Amino acid sequence: MTATKSNREKETRQASRPTSFFRFLGSVRLAIGVLSLIAATSIVGSAIKQGGTEEEYLGLYPEKTYHLIKLLGLDDTYHSPWFYFLLGLFAINLVVCIVKRIKILAGEKGRGAKAPPDVRALVAAGSGFTVRAESLGEISRRLTGSYRKKEISETTTLYEKGFLSRYGVVVIHASVLVVLLGGLVGLIGGARGFIMLRVGETAWSAVSRERAGTPIPLGFTVRCKDFKVAFYPGGQPKEYASEIEVLDGAGRVLKEGRIRVNEPFSYGGVRLYQSSYGRSNSYTFLVDGKTIVLGEQEVTREGKAPFMVVRHAPQVHDFGPGVMVAYMDGEDPKTLWFLSDVERMRTHLIKGSRVSLEKISGEYYTGLEMSRDHGVPAVLLGFGLMLAGLYINFFTFHRRIYVVNEGAVINVVGIASRNKEGFLEELGKLAKDLA
Amino acid sequence: MITHHAILGVATILYLALFFLYILYFSVGKKGILTVAWYCLLATFAVQTAGIGLRWVESYRLGIGHAPLSNFYESLIVFSWSISLLVMIMRKRLYPVITFAAGAASLGLMAYASLFPGVERGIQPLIPALQSNWLHVHVITCFLAYAAFLVSFVAGGLYFLRSRWIVPAGHTLEDINYRSIIIGFSMLTSGILTGAVWAHYAWGSYWSWDPKETWSLITWIVYALILHLRFAGGRKGRLTAVLSIIGFASVVMTYFGVNFFLTGLHSYAT
Repeated sequence: MTATKSNREKETRQASRPTSFFRFLGSVRLAIGVLSLIAATSIVGSAIKQGGTEEEYLGLYPEKTYHLIKLLGLDDTYHSPWFYFLLGLFAINLVVCIVKRIKILAGEKGRGAKAPPDVRALVAAGSGFTVRAESLGEISRRLTGSYRKKEISETTTLYEKGFLSRYGVVVIHASVLVVLLGGLVGLIGGARGFIMLRVGETAWSAVSRERAGTPIPLGFTVRCKDFKVAFYPGGQPKEYASEIEVLDGAGRVLKEGRIRVNEPFSYGGVRLYQSSYGRSNSYTFLVDGKTIVLGEQEVTREGKAPFMVVRHAPQVHDFGPGVMVAYMDGEDPKTLWFLSDVERMRTHLIKGSRVSLEKISGEYYTGLEMSRDHGVPAVLLGFGLMLAGLYINFFTFHRRIYVVNEGAVINVVGIASRNKEGFLEELGKLAKDLA
Repeated sequence: MITHHAILGVATILYLALFFLYILYFSVGKKGILTVAWYCLLATFAVQTAGIGLRWVESYRLGIGHAPLSNFYESLIVFSWSISLLVMIMRKRLYPVITFAAGAASLGLMAYASLFPGVERGIQPLIPALQSNWLHVHVITCFLAYAAFLVSFVAGGLYFLRSRWIVPAGHTLEDINYRSIIIGFSMLTSGILTGAVWAHYAWGSYWSWDPKETWSLITWIVYALILHLRFAGGRKGRLTAVLSIIGFASVVMTYFGVNFFLTGLHSYAT
């Protein structure tokens, strides 16, 4: 540590402007600054509603505040340019820091092996002990079990363990970088959307949540074969699952599967998740003698004028269930109530077409979340690296024991990168065993 | 038939006994009391573990079997249990005053869980999103992290009273603080990562900027800052102490605050 510190001071004096800028990019100070800003941004982002509509914001905040939120991109904080800027700066900081650290480590490795430390001074300082010359074989026997042995010179032997822990910081920093890269891949090439299917229905695209309503092609057609939901005795949902099949353009079945909560289905780089379910109604009409089934918000062009169901009421006054149907009469939108239980109100003429409401049926629909994200493997790799890095960095440490044959006696000294007290205990025990 | 509520009640009383044992130790100063307190802690932990285990068993009898890690009441109990587990793991490094504070926190959590109105204490069925093996590892790692950060908070708070009466010296407190942060940071990272992997399987996205996720990230950053400050400038006493207090405030926000002030995907934890 002292060696690197004095090196650093030397470098500071000689540093020209570009290298000092480079050093700033890899500095702990920059890391602390950027991380603090990311944390501060996250606090703001969690306090302000994200991704709401203009009306929602105006209902929550005064107009001036709303304009400020909009100006700073705080309605979508985590995708705002300056948040990306912070993440970019953080990534650069990590890269430079990793490079610097590897350079230092490469230097240390060479030095440590060649030049042993001032053994006598260390013994005097208490991080070592002196034993009889005959103990040499005994030391070797005791240490070679867990330590790696290396002859540095004729008189000096180095026993080393946990050198990898010095790379812990590098591994952790690299893992964060890998996760960020995975996130970037997902951000650029990924897509997320939502699919709602009733049993028997098919979809070839998902609806994007972010860019309201834009269809995202799946690259295949998905059909919901069946949907099942089970409830606890108290009425809460216990389990729900969709049986689906993947079809190609010609309607051939490519893959079948079951999607449950926590058990997604994947095909062609697209993952489908069971995210919700609900009940929706479908309405059976007889239009000029032909039966049609309309979903909610679905328009039929079967009759002389297109129409759709705009409202469903389970109970219209005392007349039972009914639906309000809307159609265009020239330029004017018109509405009509159909009541399924009242004979006189079941049939109407819409621009000359005879339309009658045959049945209102409720059925489940399945809500599937769709995601295409090629960055996921990198993110998961980053997670694994991060845990490994944390382990070797915090729970293992680099220990070196130098055994120097001084002729009449042997000096044994130990240096640990961390947990110095624990290591001194270990050395103490070794000294006691040899005495 | 003994119910888990009765056993957890015994655990709460034992935490109370532990509390008074430490009070006695601080006033009398006999080392022997500490030994008694240590065995009291072991017994408390064993009884509490049995209570949690029985609640688990009882949930199977109700036909809605799941680990007791699913609602706010259960999380309070597991939090208190995690604190005791951590104190046992770190026992060589801790000081009576810190074990005392941690035990008092456990007592407070148990008391809150069993007495506070509005905490749903019954065994509830598990909603489909929580039916996953990731639940166990995610919750345990998170609460071990919270427990470690509680110890760090205590060490940080006591730093301002260092070397007075029962409070150890500043460097000892800083050492305890650092050790608990290492454990807490590793556990929090594990908790966040297992949560992200689980979210990837359950929701189709490993990170959704849900308020609880966001606040766990904020907490993670605060402790990352403490570790970096230590690396950059060695021991920083007061600053580390202040930051570990801020860090714990962020933990409290992540655990309690998010559920009360903000809405999000983790809303079942209220």
